[in-house]
Amino acid sequence: MKVIACYSMKGGVGKTATSVNIAYWAAKSGLKTLLIDLDPQGASSFYFRVKPSKKQWGERFFQAYEALLKHIKASDFENLDIIPAHLSFRNFDSLLSGLKKRESRLKRILKGFNKDYDLVILDCPPSISHLSESIFIASDIVLVPVIPTTLSERTYEQLLDFFKEHKYPKTHITSFFSMVQSQKSLHKATIEGMSQRYKTFLKTTIPYSADIEKMGEHKAPVDVFAKSKPANLAYSELWKEIAKLIKS
Amino acid sequence: MNHLPSTLTWPLKVVTCSNDILLSLQVKFTTDVCPPAESVHQFYDDFDSHLWRSDHLLCKSAKTDFQLYQNDQLIDTIKTARPVQFWWHFSEGLLRSKLKKLTGLRAILPIASLDLLKTSFLLRNCDQKIVVRGSFTQVIGGSATHCYLTLEPLRGYQKEFDRAVNIIQASVLDSVNDFGLKFLLLSTNSLPAQNKLPEKISIDKTMEIERAVRVMAVAMLNEAQRNVEGVISDIDTEFLHHYRVGFRKVRSLLALLKKALPVTMIAHLRAELSIIAGKTNKLRDLDVFLLEQERYRLMLPVGFENGLDELYKLINSQRKREKNAVATYLASEAYQTRISVCLQALAEEPMFETTLAAKPVLAVVKKLLLKRYQKMLSMSRAINKQTTDEEIHQLRIEFKKLRYLIEFFVDLFPKKRVHKLLAEIKKVQTVLGDFNDYCVQIDFLTAYMDHSKIELTKALSGLIAILHQKLIEQRITAEAALVTFFTEEMTIEFNLQYGAESMEKVGESV
Ligand SMILES: Nc1ncnc2c1ncn2[C@@H]1O[C@H](COP(=O)(O)OP(=O)(O)O)[C@@H](O)[C@H]1O
Ligand SMILES: [Mg+2]
Repeated sequence: MKVIACYSMKGGVGKTATSVNIAYWAAKSGLKTLLIDLDPQGASSFYFRVKPSKKQWGERFFQAYEALLKHIKASDFENLDIIPAHLSFRNFDSLLSGLKKRESRLKRILKGFNKDYDLVILDCPPSISHLSESIFIASDIVLVPVIPTTLSERTYEQLLDFFKEHKYPKTHITSFFSMVQSQKSLHKATIEGMSQRYKTFLKTTIPYSADIEKMGEHKAPVDVFAKSKPANLAYSELWKEIAKLIKS
Repeated sequence: MNHLPSTLTWPLKVVTCSNDILLSLQVKFTTDVCPPAESVHQFYDDFDSHLWRSDHLLCKSAKTDFQLYQNDQLIDTIKTARPVQFWWHFSEGLLRSKLKKLTGLRAILPIASLDLLKTSFLLRNCDQKIVVRGSFTQVIGGSATHCYLTLEPLRGYQKEFDRAVNIIQASVLDSVNDFGLKFLLLSTNSLPAQNKLPEKISIDKTMEIERAVRVMAVAMLNEAQRNVEGVISDIDTEFLHHYRVGFRKVRSLLALLKKALPVTMIAHLRAELSIIAGKTNKLRDLDVFLLEQERYRLMLPVGFENGLDELYKLINSQRKREKNAVATYLASEAYQTRISVCLQALAEEPMFETTLAAKPVLAVVKKLLLKRYQKMLSMSRAINKQTTDEEIHQLRIEFKKLRYLIEFFVDLFPKKRVHKLLAEIKKVQTVLGDFNDYCVQIDFLTAYMDHSKIELTKALSGLIAILHQKLIEQRITAEAALVTFFTEEMTIEFNLQYGAESMEKVGESV
């Protein structure tokens, strides 16, 4: 079983859009996939039409994997299950700070899914915190969407530094350009520059596209309602690249 | 993972009420109904139902796709363009290798068909999330039309599933287990008679021996007769093989226990059965040789192909002729009459004319087994380097009879011990059988020697030389196998199993 975290310190960069579509393609390729929505806002759960349970169960999240099992919901797609987010997830950070061995908590919990799933995808909230630390330790790949702007480059640098500082293996970081507007010269230049400076970028870029925005309206992955559009193709390609990484 | 309730399937109370069921579900759910999909499933198996008996189903649905199911799970699909009859007609893959293992030399025949009309639907909640999947399956096959409703729960939506089950409850009968193709074949009575195991004849250990022999002989003859149609249509070579095995068994039974039946009757029966059995000898020899074709080709180095081709051409055309002769004979009135006369004679009530006839089966068989064993033991002790091959063959025949005798009455003996003994016998028999095969093959090939055909004779000489070498080696193996079999322990075992008990005055007549 592999774990992929869609992560960025920043909000609104396309983490959720990526989690949803990558999970969809992974399941479609035959991998038993579990998407865990860690962001209390619950956007990826919403895209799959899955409502969170009414129980305030966030407190039990890090206790044992059995607690998570009860909250698994089948998606509308074969091989894809979801653990929807709950508002109580917003307390994860203070919850973790009170726990022993907090860095490896998430990893230990996820191990429980080893038998049932081939792939776990974590849709992460934007922050650098106790939670993100345990996410970094639990994940085989930390997938970082980067909007190609100058500001993003600085944020990205900070993340790399953070990894270095904490001695997380940097190879875990894999990134790709998100919301790319290729007609903007700034985007083009940033992509060129960053791809050269960092060897962590995948070849596929995700374009800025109205079809991706429409996910909210359709409450479904892009493939369901915009099959032949470039944005859909881009996610499918992105998954293929990631699938190769997982295999190796 | 925590368990998910299993998918449930119910027969509908009224075959045509699927629309009403959907309407009632719409009170609580949004329904999405897919257009119905029709599929005709043609099922295949061999005459021995090897696939069915090992929980496999071979089925063809679209025009050219064969699908293999194991325990109702699809395990492989193969496309074929040409018509297929044997495993080797399929292209490489799991399906082919499974068929090879399960059906061997048997032809694959259509056995049943099902016409399915499946209508899938989804139940959604107010968020338009799918919460239950369902389908109606209407099946037309064999003698009836049935309609089933299946509901499949989704993880995390147990409540919705329970609610749906509640709603449909009034329209369905009790739920069924193991719904699938196998279930449908059974419930529509689509399977041919051959799929049902033949009724096992039960012999009680106290039954009079004459009665037992009659009952068994009739069953064996009937079993052999089941193959006649297949031999005539020449579907595969196993029909003839099984036909002959059947006859061999009856003849063995009657020979071993000849003293259990009236003298005149037994003489007539044995003569009749011997005539019938003789009619198919040649065809079986030719079949065996053709089946071994690959092995023979591998024996000879390059340069002999032409001779072999010539030989096989000859044998193929002989086989065609021989097969027609056998088919004509088996379809003839003369044959039919002969067989029914035998069957009628055997089916009569016992007459108890001989002293043995009324003795209990178990005692008679035990005594006979011991007697045969001792005879074989002394035969085998007499074997040395100077013994002729003919004498080894005699011993092989004795082994075969011994094995048949045990197998015929296997249910009368303690299971574990008797099977262990059978396994030992089988080992020796295989070795002796191979020895015999080499002799038979050499004789068979020698008959084709023809000095006007140089290439042919060259190939034949090559094969005969190799077979002769193997024969010499096999003779040594055979002698060793006999020594391994006839141990002191074996003699003790026979005495213990079949001798010890006082022979309740079975008499010396066996
Ligand atoms: N490639 C894209 N093109 C256009 N809009 C996008 C794209 N990716 C995401 N969005 C939109 O941007 C918003 C934020 O994206 P989201 O995936 O939720 O980001 P994050 O999870 O990083 O906060 C959403 O409204 C989403 O529909
Ligand atoms: Mg998000």
